[in-house]
Amino acid sequence: MPSTPPEAVRCRIEIDRLRKNFSADGREVVAVDDASFRINDGEFVALLGPSGCGKSTILNMVATLIAPSGGAIKVDGAPAVFGKPVRHVGYVFQKDTLFPWRTVEDNVGYALEIAGVPAGERRSRVAEAIRQAGLDGFAHFYPASLSGGMRQRVSLMRTLISRPEILLMDEPFGALDTHTKLDMHSVLLSLWERQRQTVLFVTHDLGEALTLADRIILLSARPGRVKQDFRIDFPRPRDAVALRETRRYAELFSHVWHSLGEEFAKGHSA
Amino acid sequence: MRRLSTLLWQVAIALAALAIWEWGWTFHDRLPWLVPDLLDPYFISRPSAIFQQFLTLGCLTTSDGSWTFAQPGGFARCIGKSENNLWIATWFTLKNTLWGFLTGVSSGFLLGLLLGRSDRLSEIFFPFITAFNSIPRIALAPIIILAFGIGDASKIVTAWLVVVFLVFFNTFEGARAVDRDHINAARLLGASEWQVTRTVIVPSTMAWLFASLSPAISFSLIGVIVGEFIGAEHGIGRMIIEAEARGEAAGMMVAVFVLMVAGVILSALVRRLQAYLLRWRPAHQLGG
Ligand SMILES: Nc1ncnc2c1ncn2[C@@H]1O[C@H](COP(=O)(O)OP(=O)(O)OP(=O)(O)O)[C@@H](O)[C@H]1O
Ligand SMILES: [Mg+2]
Repeated sequence: MPSTPPEAVRCRIEIDRLRKNFSADGREVVAVDDASFRINDGEFVALLGPSGCGKSTILNMVATLIAPSGGAIKVDGAPAVFGKPVRHVGYVFQKDTLFPWRTVEDNVGYALEIAGVPAGERRSRVAEAIRQAGLDGFAHFYPASLSGGMRQRVSLMRTLISRPEILLMDEPFGALDTHTKLDMHSVLLSLWERQRQTVLFVTHDLGEALTLADRIILLSARPGRVKQDFRIDFPRPRDAVALRETRRYAELFSHVWHSLGEEFAKGHSA
Repeated sequence: MRRLSTLLWQVAIALAALAIWEWGWTFHDRLPWLVPDLLDPYFISRPSAIFQQFLTLGCLTTSDGSWTFAQPGGFARCIGKSENNLWIATWFTLKNTLWGFLTGVSSGFLLGLLLGRSDRLSEIFFPFITAFNSIPRIALAPIIILAFGIGDASKIVTAWLVVVFLVFFNTFEGARAVDRDHINAARLLGASEWQVTRTVIVPSTMAWLFASLSPAISFSLIGVIVGEFIGAEHGIGRMIIEAEARGEAAGMMVAVFVLMVAGVILSALVRRLQAYLLRWRPAHQLGG
């Protein structure tokens, strides 16, 4: 929060000289090399970089889905242990991972069901979440009969319903068309500006990063390293559409674009 | 319009087949090159005779042709008199088919789930399962009759044996194909190992299990009939063997006809169940 002095700000995610090698077909691939950054409480950070630079890999390591080859990850001061997800960390996947055999409401209510929240409370929280996501009337639909944008909103609510304090998002809107994407930005902004979770948001879309984030961490082409850290100081609450027409947006866009462009060029020649 | 014409074609074909069956043999002497020996009613009987036999075996008419329902208690008396009448035979066959189906499906599912989710267990047991699976199951029927006697148990075991492998392999495949990302999503939403099994692995494997239910019920019926051929006191298979011993083609045909009706009804019921349980899948994937 802007008014608090920096000393009082709590660090939620701390990544220190993180490395990850994959061996595929007998060949070593260095996906992430020596990445270090910190994310403070309530910050919305976008992790930006060209395709294949190791963004998902970093996020998966924070989520304890894969084990790092070197370096350290701390969530709220505690070292991340492979295979032991932290309770209050939520994850929205790059891929659609809704449970196809569950209806919208049963997908959204999954985390509450798992946690043993009584049915009455569960129903009202699920109904509230479905309303917030603008999915009224679709509670009894199965994912197969929803559009991509609707599915992504269900995914978002499925993660948000247990009120995670830290939110990891891996290109959640990557597969959506421009219009639906802008819609989703508004939905996410309005949800986030009320709750102020700590967010690490992976994307390769600069416009998206500028619209949503307080900070953009730019990764280099593979192997991913932190190249630059930009502060995005648009006032909040933000309007996802109006923001794009401001002069400041254009300035920041070209500023980051220049650095990003270099990495895209490297990514292609590599 | 199209549906009507399809229906008309179907009725016409059925009637033509029945007519050839009924009257074809009468042309055998005049047109021997056109009428194959197989049409001899000694082998395949005639629709009219089969219907008569159905009424008699089903205790609907007495042997002199009068309706049993015409006399008070006539039907019950007839049922009590003959050991293996049509109704009792059908009841035994269906009952054992259902038991074979239920035991085969549940044990095949559990086994498939267990081996499908444990690399260690599947590594150890797979050679045995492959070896067993390459035995034609029906070849074991005589041994099963010897071991379990001529009662219901041997029929259920035969049916079970036929069903269990089918369901096992389907479930095994399904358990391996569970989407890694669904498991990860559940874990990150707070699910424990057991909760992941219950809410992700079982439901997504179910889809594969359901796909095997239709063949499973048909296989179960085959298992029971073969068991009854080899040694039984009741059942449709037993009826066929008895009729054969007496050279009664009509009796065999009645039994076959009843099996056909039973098979159609059972498959239709299973398909209904399957469609309901898999209603979350997009329509074009149903049954796949
Ligand atoms: N399981 C794996 N085995 C082998 N190599 C992998 C594996 N996962 C990722 N990689 C490699 O690591 C690199 C980084 O992958 P990652 O998925 O993190 O990229 P990304 O930045 O998320 O890309 P995108 O924007 O396309 O999602 C890629 O070169 C990829 O081929
Ligand atoms: Mg990725």
